[in-house]
Amino acid sequence: MSKSCLDYKLTRRSLLAAGGASILGLSVSDLLALEGTSHEAKAKNIILFWNGGGMSHIDTWDPKPGRPTQGDFSPISTSVTGMQISEIFPKLSKQMHHAALIRSIAGTQGAHGRATYNLQTSYLPSGNLRHPGVGSVVVHERPKTSELPAYVSISGQAPQASYLGQKCEAYYVSSPGAKDPYLAFPEGITEIRGNKRLEVLAKYNKRFAGPSTDQRLGASETSITEAVKLMRSPALEAFELEKVPQTTLDRYGDTTFGRGALLAKRLVDEGVRFVQVNRGGFDTHSGNFPAMTNHGEIMDPALASLIEDLHESGKLESTMVVMMSEFGRTPKINDNAGRDHWPSVFSCFMAGGGIKGGTVIGSSDEDGAHPKDRPVKVPELHASICHAMGIDPNKEVMTPLQRPMKLVDNGEPVKELFS
Amino acid sequence: MTRSVGYLSVALTLACFLFTPQASANDVDVVLQNENEAAKVELQPTPVVDDLTYLRRASVDLIGRIPTGEEIRQYMSWPASERRAKLVDKLIVDDRFADRWTAFMGDMLRLRSNATGGAALTAYVHQAIQENMPYDELCRRLLAANGKANSTPEVGFILGDDANPTAMAAVTAQVFMGVRIACAECHDHPFDVWTREDFYSLAAFFGKTRRVESQITRVVYTTEANESTVMWPPEDDSEATERSPMKPRFPFEISDNKEPLEFVKRLIDLRNKQELARKAAAKKTADVVINDLLTSAEDKVVQQTNGETDELGVKKEAKSTIRSIDIQGDLYRQSELRAQLAEMVTSPRNRFFSRSMVNRVWKELVGQGFVEPIDDFRADNPPSHPETLDFLAEEFVATGYDFRNLVKMIVTSDAYSRSHVAPDADEATRVDLESNFMATPMRRMLGEALYDSIVSAGHLFEYKHLPGTNERVVRERVRVRVLEEGEKPKVADLLTVGGNTAAGGPAMMMKGRPMQGGGYALENAIELDFASLLKKKKGGVQVEQMEIMSAEELEAQRMAMMAKTQGGPNAKYVTKIVERVYDDNPKFNSTFRMASPAPQGHFVRVFGQTSRTDLGDMRGDAPNMRQALMMLNGRLTNEAARVGPLEKVHTMLSGPKVDLETAIKVVYYEILTRAPTAEEIVDGTEIIDAAATPLDGMADLRWVMLNCNEFRFIP
Repeated sequence: MSKSCLDYKLTRRSLLAAGGASILGLSVSDLLALEGTSHEAKAKNIILFWNGGGMSHIDTWDPKPGRPTQGDFSPISTSVTGMQISEIFPKLSKQMHHAALIRSIAGTQGAHGRATYNLQTSYLPSGNLRHPGVGSVVVHERPKTSELPAYVSISGQAPQASYLGQKCEAYYVSSPGAKDPYLAFPEGITEIRGNKRLEVLAKYNKRFAGPSTDQRLGASETSITEAVKLMRSPALEAFELEKVPQTTLDRYGDTTFGRGALLAKRLVDEGVRFVQVNRGGFDTHSGNFPAMTNHGEIMDPALASLIEDLHESGKLESTMVVMMSEFGRTPKINDNAGRDHWPSVFSCFMAGGGIKGGTVIGSSDEDGAHPKDRPVKVPELHASICHAMGIDPNKEVMTPLQRPMKLVDNGEPVKELFS
Repeated sequence: MTRSVGYLSVALTLACFLFTPQASANDVDVVLQNENEAAKVELQPTPVVDDLTYLRRASVDLIGRIPTGEEIRQYMSWPASERRAKLVDKLIVDDRFADRWTAFMGDMLRLRSNATGGAALTAYVHQAIQENMPYDELCRRLLAANGKANSTPEVGFILGDDANPTAMAAVTAQVFMGVRIACAECHDHPFDVWTREDFYSLAAFFGKTRRVESQITRVVYTTEANESTVMWPPEDDSEATERSPMKPRFPFEISDNKEPLEFVKRLIDLRNKQELARKAAAKKTADVVINDLLTSAEDKVVQQTNGETDELGVKKEAKSTIRSIDIQGDLYRQSELRAQLAEMVTSPRNRFFSRSMVNRVWKELVGQGFVEPIDDFRADNPPSHPETLDFLAEEFVATGYDFRNLVKMIVTSDAYSRSHVAPDADEATRVDLESNFMATPMRRMLGEALYDSIVSAGHLFEYKHLPGTNERVVRERVRVRVLEEGEKPKVADLLTVGGNTAAGGPAMMMKGRPMQGGGYALENAIELDFASLLKKKKGGVQVEQMEIMSAEELEAQRMAMMAKTQGGPNAKYVTKIVERVYDDNPKFNSTFRMASPAPQGHFVRVFGQTSRTDLGDMRGDAPNMRQALMMLNGRLTNEAARVGPLEKVHTMLSGPKVDLETAIKVVYYEILTRAPTAEEIVDGTEIIDAAATPLDGMADLRWVMLNCNEFRFIP
């Protein structure tokens, strides 16, 4: 079971203390936050690329030239002296001075479901409690800064907000450019007619409430007001990729992934806190190399253009870009020219939001099989993301069972990542 | 199912010689009133609601949707003095009663269709409600069963927590007894009396149970091993060498067997009679061994009076039967320990068990529990009205844990029937009245009930347009896997990219189709109807056969595929723009009968259904923007508002006999279960007159009514 249910000796005392303090208007989390470190957080927004299936680390961020595990790809030099990445990223290699690589993520989970849970929440799956994903944590802790939803998940569902509540659920975009039918009146209902309907609805609700000040009715009204505000928000244009010039689309690679990266950037420009872009197809048990070539062709222009554009618009300082996957893949190439699941060591790409560019954290051994130095645990990765956003990863929130849970499962930020 | 015959025939037989008088609803109110008087609550309760309001309230609560026009007519045709009683008797045997209360049990038991054995378990619980299986028996079956996922539906319950002993300890205490003992897993409970030792001794009942998954067939089953995995002291507190298997012990108080309790005596009498009736009915049936074993509480109660049970209350005979089964089927060895545990949990003398269930049902119907949160019974969180709670709990036990009767006792009470406080009442008075059950709090409908009520009010359970009159062409981006040479197309190779089109969004997703044979199909998959999609549309754009799917089906498909990561690594996809013709004449199904929990983002999820993963996760009832967007712009509300030629109001709005006033009255009854006021008729007429056509105008009016607060709050 999870270790986050606090150590008994500590908990009991701090809970008792909190019990007294709550009279003064302090919650347990407030109290414990007092102990948290504070620093100048640079990141305001996060774009998380989730590569589902388990992306090969050796064929991407951690090449092993000259070893039997190398595979088909050669390493190429990057804009950072001494840092090499796989040749599938020719464009991105020129942006690596903005990026950091962690090459020593020490995972523990080798099954997709459990590993995905772990990488997306920092926790291990435990009996009957579901932990929220990192995006929910971020929007729970940082105020909304846009008329658009604070948390958007593109091309797939983000993990659930669970005990952080419905407000921290991701707003879901089935694919970049897809129109959300709920943001406009249904087909056949003109603006005039729709607005008239809303007007009459407001009147009916007012009559129903009468003099009542019951907040349950009020909250219902507020939700409608918020919805209409979003429907009428000019910021919605960020979702409309058809207005983007073809040349821009082409720079990102006119693929679903490229459009996802572009949409993520446009949303961040509008103040959306956390965007998760999902993509699968990394479970390369067979035919690893052609598959990774294909993945490279899709990811390279998108990531490179995203970093370049964020940098040029001055947004890279405040926008953290993270690419992760649930685990790496075996150094050994199997009989089907594939690689299998490998959690012992794998890599993570990060850029912007206060990340020190051109950094490599940790390393794997010569075959890319185990961490050689500075192993980074999954919670440390999450703690680093929180740290960048000025969030105390050790802050506690209460589950419905009144169990205190830390935002991150006991991890300290990887300080070397930050300038 | 041999048992099913059992309940009904037993019930019938019993009706003939039941002498013990059952408490009537008014008794609840008397106890409650006395309790309030003793507590010096000097407030005037609100009056009970009028007949139509009662009809709406009870229908939503008991069968999960508002009454239809026809149901209103029937109800009002009954003599006023009998109306409510007749209604309740009708609703509790309605097919939808089991559907709706499966959602209640689903939340409580965390039923998940997609968990191992979860689909069968859900169907099983549905059936148990439909057949009114005594609640204690259901609980015993869920706690004690071992077997194969789906073939033994009950085993889905422990498989839902991977048969993990510590998880099951938490579940047993919290779900069935309303005691939150989970904290004591890692440390003595900070606010309560439970110690780690209590927790681990409860977990020890599950210590020998093993979840086994065949590596070849992927079949999952549970069985009993000889060794317990639950060790003491816990790992973090001791060296391995000091640890030994924990001895199972039931940490909750069960009142003394010798203490004469009237309600226990009534239960024993009742079960004795049931036993006689069953034996008479089951004489011809030979294969009742397992059923008898698992329903042994009746026998146990009988024997308790004769002193034939051991200290744990388990019949010696039962034990030997378990052993003989073991010899026959060593694969799914039954759990003696868990059978013992189940006996203790469901003992009529375990007051936690009956109180906990009564508290849950009361909360569901009246809006506030005697104990809040409903699963947090502890000494320093006492019930607000202990005598009323115990009165109901004892009646629940004495009537043989009859779930339907419990519901009936509550909904026929004044406490249930009272109106909300007047809108101009101040907040403090409101809270006082509501917390003393002298007024009912406003409640929002369950997400499922809201959905089904919209479907019902908009006549969408049936077709309301003539076939072929609403053909539309939609363009959609679809992602199609490029087929290998010679490969035949499979539906699973198709994913939408564009997902949400005008033709259907998440509101249309994955609605379970009504199942054949009156029960849930015992399978995990979403049922899709491919018959219509294979029908060639004349004059339509020709597309590849596999691409002709309704948006609804595509959406369901996409949801189904989402669980997996897209495609194999080497699958090649092409994106195509597909034009499809479809007949925009939708029919909707009940959300109570779809796979649950619904996919993330589904209407019922947005309206409060939880993922049912977390223990103690309650439905939220706070409104949010996403709900508003789905209601304002969703397909469901708009289709429900749209007037179809097969609807009765259609003829009142078009053709030679236009009669706006009657049409407005009809929709007020159908949507809000009441007549419109004079002012509302004027307003309604104005809205209809202002629109392009009366049909459009009526759609506008209905849209407003479906969206308004009056609709979604239970009156």
